[in-house]
Amino acid sequence: MRSSLLRNTAAALVCALAVTALAGCGTSSSGDGTSAQPSGGSADATTPLDPKAKVTLSIDCMPPAAKAAELKEWKEDVAEFNKRYPNVTIDGRSTPGQCLEPPRFTAMLKAKSQPDVFYAYFTDLQQVLDNDGAEDISAYVTPQSVPALDDIDKNVLGVLKRDGKLYGLPTSNYTMGLLVNRKLFQQAGLNPDTPPRTWEEVRAAAKRIAALGNGTAGYGEYSVENTGGWHYTAAMYGLGGDIVGADGKAAFNNPTGRQIAANLHAMRWEDDSMGKTQLLKWGDLQKQMASDKLGMFLAAPDDITYMVQQLGAKYENFGMGPLPGGAATLAGGNGYMIKKGSSSDKIKAAVAWLDFKTLAVGKGQFRYDRSKADGLPVGLPQPAFFTGASKAKDDELKAASATMPVANFKAFLDNPVPGKAEPQKAQEVYKILDKVMSGILTDKNADAAQLLAEAEKAVNQLLANR
Amino acid sequence: MAERTLISPAQLSRTRGKVLYWTVLAVVVVGFTLVFLGPLYWMVTNGLKSTEEFARVPPTLVPHSVHTANYTAAWKVMDLAKLLFNTLYYAFGALAFQLVLDVGAAYSLSRLRPVLGKAVLGMMLATLMIPAAVLVVPQYLTVLDVPLIQRNLLNSPWVIWLPSVTNAFSIFLLKRFFDSIPQEILDAASIDGASALRTLRSVVLPMSRPVLGVVSIFAVVGVWKDFLWPMLTLPDPALQTLNVGIYSLSTGVPENHLIAALAMACAPTLLIFLVFQRNIMGGLTAGSLKG
Amino acid sequence: MPATAAEDFRRAFKRNLTAHGFLIGAVLCFSFFSWYPMVREFLLAFQKTEAGTTRWVGWDNFRHVFQDPGFWQAWRNTLLFTALALVLGFLLPFLVAVVLNEFRHAQGYLRLLVYLPVMMPPVASVLLFKYFYDPGYGLFNRALGVLHLPAQDWLQSGDTAMLSVVIASTWMNMGSATLIYLAALQGVPGELYEAAELDGAGLLRKIWHVTVPQTKLVLSLMLLMQIIATMQVFTEPFLLTGGAGPEGSTTTVVVLIYQYAFNFNQYGGAAALGLCLLVLLSGFSALYVRLSRDNES
Repeated sequence: MRSSLLRNTAAALVCALAVTALAGCGTSSSGDGTSAQPSGGSADATTPLDPKAKVTLSIDCMPPAAKAAELKEWKEDVAEFNKRYPNVTIDGRSTPGQCLEPPRFTAMLKAKSQPDVFYAYFTDLQQVLDNDGAEDISAYVTPQSVPALDDIDKNVLGVLKRDGKLYGLPTSNYTMGLLVNRKLFQQAGLNPDTPPRTWEEVRAAAKRIAALGNGTAGYGEYSVENTGGWHYTAAMYGLGGDIVGADGKAAFNNPTGRQIAANLHAMRWEDDSMGKTQLLKWGDLQKQMASDKLGMFLAAPDDITYMVQQLGAKYENFGMGPLPGGAATLAGGNGYMIKKGSSSDKIKAAVAWLDFKTLAVGKGQFRYDRSKADGLPVGLPQPAFFTGASKAKDDELKAASATMPVANFKAFLDNPVPGKAEPQKAQEVYKILDKVMSGILTDKNADAAQLLAEAEKAVNQLLANR
Repeated sequence: MAERTLISPAQLSRTRGKVLYWTVLAVVVVGFTLVFLGPLYWMVTNGLKSTEEFARVPPTLVPHSVHTANYTAAWKVMDLAKLLFNTLYYAFGALAFQLVLDVGAAYSLSRLRPVLGKAVLGMMLATLMIPAAVLVVPQYLTVLDVPLIQRNLLNSPWVIWLPSVTNAFSIFLLKRFFDSIPQEILDAASIDGASALRTLRSVVLPMSRPVLGVVSIFAVVGVWKDFLWPMLTLPDPALQTLNVGIYSLSTGVPENHLIAALAMACAPTLLIFLVFQRNIMGGLTAGSLKG
Repeated sequence: MPATAAEDFRRAFKRNLTAHGFLIGAVLCFSFFSWYPMVREFLLAFQKTEAGTTRWVGWDNFRHVFQDPGFWQAWRNTLLFTALALVLGFLLPFLVAVVLNEFRHAQGYLRLLVYLPVMMPPVASVLLFKYFYDPGYGLFNRALGVLHLPAQDWLQSGDTAMLSVVIASTWMNMGSATLIYLAALQGVPGELYEAAELDGAGLLRKIWHVTVPQTKLVLSLMLLMQIIATMQVFTEPFLLTGGAGPEGSTTTVVVLIYQYAFNFNQYGGAAALGLCLLVLLSGFSALYVRLSRDNES
């Protein structure tokens, strides 16, 4: 009787233990890293990483299998890096498509589930700091740990700083221009070496390309998942406008803003030169252009790498001109930050890896001879964050292995447009502006003035809600 | 002859009735084949087209040239094997948890009737009143830092398995089935001195196969079809489910590769379904009807 | 053998210990992942978190959400989706079931066909429809062209976007409803039809006066389930139109909850919105529970 009681109880309790015990032992490792060690004081921050220190770095944005060439280079670089630091394990995580999707990035910060070294857009710094997500690495980044430091554009480093403290290292930066499909330009009797410089010229060229038929669109534009707002912002900058003014209020509901809307509406509905498929997001226009169905869209030069590597396009087929209007252009970029609470050794290892992979002339992403051998386009005008001697050396190496005909970028390089940073709360603002874009592009009777007025109200509410 | 239905047999046996019957049958068979198999045909064949042919306007019905390389490339690039494995791992893990914990709970509520059992059952059933979508945000904030045990469950299978146990509907189905087992059978077992666990294992469970089948199918299908929850809670690409993985990858590969991947992602369950169609369709219908 | 009070207590204690042992696993899961989040939902709706500090803000979140022009639009969209889904997703499977039930041939094949999409990963089905809807190489406009019908804008226009979402959703989900109706139809006694025929009832009157009343309970349960499910639609609009659609015409309430939480990082607003949905749906849920209890007895 008694033993049966015991047996019964014990057996039944298994149910209970199952939950508590399991939840207790094996859970996500992401929580463990934070509590391991507090960050090392800045006293020892300047000493180089002890090669004997055993460190495992989780890092995202490793190239996915779809980027075969870049993945191969990543692995080579890890192997080479490990020759010098055999005790540092680089635990790369790859994300297909874009490395960062704003809503999931926000969720990740909230959850503090970011890897030790995490990829972020320049515009994300505020968000990262709001969530206490990144370590101040000012003390760790010195000319010893990053030899090219003094040659890195101060403006680029500046966007990763807050109150004089550095929170990240750049991997790439871009300014937007007008990406053109040279084949379609030629077929339409246009000169691909002189891409349109104004919106009137864009409209005229788009009309001629669309006239080629077969579902070819002259000009393409996004309108969902924040990318529509992003491009609207770029177009505003090109015409000298702004999205958020100096007074911290929406600054796009004005003649310039309406002009952009009117022009897109005319191309979409009067000329029918933007294709019928809308509600596009990043990745869609690239697919259209790679299959020669699209003549032009606003883009950063690295879209070409994407189209060549993942979509099987030929790089000679593309060229670039400056952003229409040319008053300013949207300048952005991305880099890596280091998770708050990482140990001093982890930070040192991370800085060493980032330096090797993304910031050293002639190494990592700047090993042009290797990129050429791997079939990646060489000769793109970006990233462009080096200055001085580093820039001279980098340009020389790039020119020696260039595979992209320089002429394809001549219009872009000869007409430099000053870069302008993205607005505050960029992703939220873009989300709101998406609606303006989708309205213009999907509704023939869209009332642009009303759409802009509504967006203005929403943006002001967002900015006031700080 | 089947049972009498809407249309009288007399009407059907007339010539006019027969003609009408066969015409409607033919139209429906052809229509359904087009509507339900057509998309699958489109998927398989467009996965075989070249990029250029895929984007052609108007589209071609039969691929002019066959590119099986799309399939191999998609399989490798999208790492479908891993996505499939992850999904099955989560699905069967959830199934195991539900079978152990929900069956235990239903048995206890139905047969052992503890103090406060009614209240617990009531609170469980009350969760059926809360729309699942409403709970996503607070549930997400909870798994970030589970109270008391202070764990972050993100990127771990527990984040799928444990919440899947909170399936009040399954508990309800199980409890009702256990309620219907005649008391005499259980009494006989307890006279033999069998413990509660033994009674459950050797008397109750063998009688409960049908309802266990229903609950199992619900558990597996639930994980298989879920999208928002795994998208939020399994951000690490190496741990994602098939649904989330395909969604993430949809921007990063050419269209024809993506479609090839869709075809391969659909293949395993469609095959399983064709083999076990009777059990699956029967189980799902039975379960939902009684709800 | 009269048991002593102590013996009684011991037995009751033992029984309870065992019973609670069996129960506690599920109870813990419910506590952590269902009951606690429910409470938290209510708390969140009245709180605001800024720079790491949380404070009570009363009805501020609700006020903020009500002022959002997207709020009313999301409700309109959701109600439109629900209404369209009732016509397509509720009536269509019933009609299909009625027709299939008459067939003496190929019924198994047809049942199988209707159910196929239910087994596909939903994301795959949705992406497939996205291709079909493409105005360029899309299958649907091609099919309309073959039939000499005018091409449609499908997802590309605010007028048809939601309908397109519903069509995709119906294709994906109608299998289960059809099978449930089929099962219910098999329970309709044939004599009733005979009796109706003696009264001279035609086809439609037979359906209206025999089939519908005989399957009323299943029909009303399915209707409520359908309303509850469609009011929470997320995956289809999220994937087909980036959750926004032309001028936000496919942003549903749950998509808006997602945007509040993860695009704008406003968990309070998301929770307030969730409570609104909860209040509306709890009426339907209560009705559902009551009906299924009647089903019991």
